[in-house]
Amino acid sequence: MPKNEKEVRRRDFLTSSIVGLGGFASVSSSAATIPPGQEQPAGKFARRTLGKTGMQLPVITMGVMNTSNPALVRAALDAGLFFLDTAQGYQRGTNESMIGEVLKGRPRDTFALATKSNLPRNQTTGQYAADATEEAYTKRIDTSLKNLGLDHVEIYHHHGAWSREGALFEPILNALEKAKKAGKIRFAGITTHRNEPEVIHAAVDSKVYDVVLTAYNFRQKHAEEIKKAIARAAEAGLGVIAMKTIGGNVGGAYHNQAIDARAALKWALQDTNVHTVITGFTTFDQLELDLTVLKDISLTRLERENLRVAALQPGLYCQGCGRCVTQCVRRLPIPDLMRASMYLYGYRNLVAAQDLVFSLALPASPCGNCSACPVRCLNRWNVRERIQDVVRLREVPSEFIA
Amino acid sequence: MNMLFLRWALGAMLLLMAGGVEAGTIAFPEMSGWDQPGKPQTYSPETLYECINGAADLYLSYDFRELHVAEYTNAQKASVTVEIYRHSTPTQAFGIYSQERLANAKLLDIGAEGYQEPAVLNFFTGPYYVKISGYETGAEDEKILLAFGRKVEEILGGKTPLPDILSAFPKEGLKQHSEKFISKDFLGYSFLHSGFTADYELSGKPFKIFVIEGRDRDDCRSMIEKYLRETKTPGEPVEGLRRLKDRHHGDVDLFWKGRFIWGTLNLDDPSLRSKYLKEVEARAR
Repeated sequence: MPKNEKEVRRRDFLTSSIVGLGGFASVSSSAATIPPGQEQPAGKFARRTLGKTGMQLPVITMGVMNTSNPALVRAALDAGLFFLDTAQGYQRGTNESMIGEVLKGRPRDTFALATKSNLPRNQTTGQYAADATEEAYTKRIDTSLKNLGLDHVEIYHHHGAWSREGALFEPILNALEKAKKAGKIRFAGITTHRNEPEVIHAAVDSKVYDVVLTAYNFRQKHAEEIKKAIARAAEAGLGVIAMKTIGGNVGGAYHNQAIDARAALKWALQDTNVHTVITGFTTFDQLELDLTVLKDISLTRLERENLRVAALQPGLYCQGCGRCVTQCVRRLPIPDLMRASMYLYGYRNLVAAQDLVFSLALPASPCGNCSACPVRCLNRWNVRERIQDVVRLREVPSEFIA
Repeated sequence: MNMLFLRWALGAMLLLMAGGVEAGTIAFPEMSGWDQPGKPQTYSPETLYECINGAADLYLSYDFRELHVAEYTNAQKASVTVEIYRHSTPTQAFGIYSQERLANAKLLDIGAEGYQEPAVLNFFTGPYYVKISGYETGAEDEKILLAFGRKVEEILGGKTPLPDILSAFPKEGLKQHSEKFISKDFLGYSFLHSGFTADYELSGKPFKIFVIEGRDRDDCRSMIEKYLRETKTPGEPVEGLRRLKDRHHGDVDLFWKGRFIWGTLNLDDPSLRSKYLKEVEARAR
């Protein structure tokens, strides 16, 4: 279990949060007085300006995706987390509807909202279907507004792009621009969970997107590339929102007991080009813990250490960088072998693991006479050991595992 | 085969059995007139984000184990995508299914329960949550997806029952398709862990009824004790009725008996609270 440096007295903190936020929760962009990347002075709740949108947002944003509990959303809003993030796809639109119910009766200038959707596409190739049209995307925007019971949202994101081509898909760009002109959305955004740098650069080049929402965490091997892309986006005036700060790991942010979730949030905020970070809490206790980040975003020595240790956890997921293939003298299909290892120990699926190993047509002794493995895996895995372990599946009679 | 290897193989088998996991991949059905242009894809808890983006978190909270996806196309270039999510238990599968079922869903007799909308057919059966979607399937859309649904239902073992506990919810005022299973952090409290909930409305006033199934009596005692502490309610955790003032949920009536706790939320009328609590008990019996 990660250690938190100090426990916050919960009710005291929540009370002070609400008092401290009195009158501040106006979301008007014209009220922007803080330059991008700058926080409120010490002692106040940390806010940053979301790029050229001018919206001053708390550095913590509630991602509503994990909860269907309206009381929790109300508590977040009341505590000052006035920017909410959802998606049409979350619970098939019921997440938007639940938020809409909570927002009923609240003055429109006391909250801000981002939601998102995409159009039908092939999950492998990313190629959009023939019915992925501008009209279809406009309908999706309208559906979100209907679910939310609002006439506009602050940000509408193109959801889940992983390539430049996808990010620049014209029907979606056109629909977003027209929705902006029609006042249905104030700003256009794009979200990315993989191949993030390429998508972020495309977003900057598009001149259409105002905001990028990207996975960004201390465990990503390509975090430096993302950092550079984010810097370029911020320089171009785009608002930058980070998510998956815990590492997109098993069980989501708060279900991974091995990672200090608060430290992971703070890690992302050390990059001043990140304007706010999404956190998907599901309990009132987690909300209050996250509110402490608004008070002080600095990473303590203990938190840094917790992150360093967490980053060393080897896990089972090969990031597929492919560097090992060129390092391996025998040019073994190491990413495939690591995938087989994941099938075996992660999915506990011996059949899939064995099928994959057989399909690779490996030599009888895959590592041959190599005495010292030259592969330096980014995950710091002992690749030779894993290969030798998983190829033993070839010796298991299929009737034994079928 | 040497002993060391046998031990390893046996260990792997035991690992499988301990996890209650069926070995083997999903054998997607062959559909007449449809081809599978590629191999089915499999996603693990660590890679689910690649397939469904931020929605993955919620699936993971329902003890998601793996997702198998197959794509079918026909000569008219229509396509059907079949996604089979496997969760650890039928209750977890019902939970994620219930999160995505809409109030106006047109129910189908498929699996434990399912429904169909234009270009979509979703159902759950056993530990599986199945989502079938069609692209450019035209006027025959409903028929096509149902044919896929029936085949997939068959390969997954056919019909299975709904969770028993759902029968404890009284029918009067129950809003259609509002029953849900929340797998973690029920009511926003980690100590309550999981629970079933349903929406009600009487005379235009909405309220909720919930049922928590503890592991045993001690587990329920611990939950009640923590809830009393959280709400600063005096008294010891004893079986029977408790009334709490929850700063997030308002007045909450709770009844604890054995390994079950049930209660009402947002129900102002004390006589109605009492009536519903008694009815849950009677139905649960």
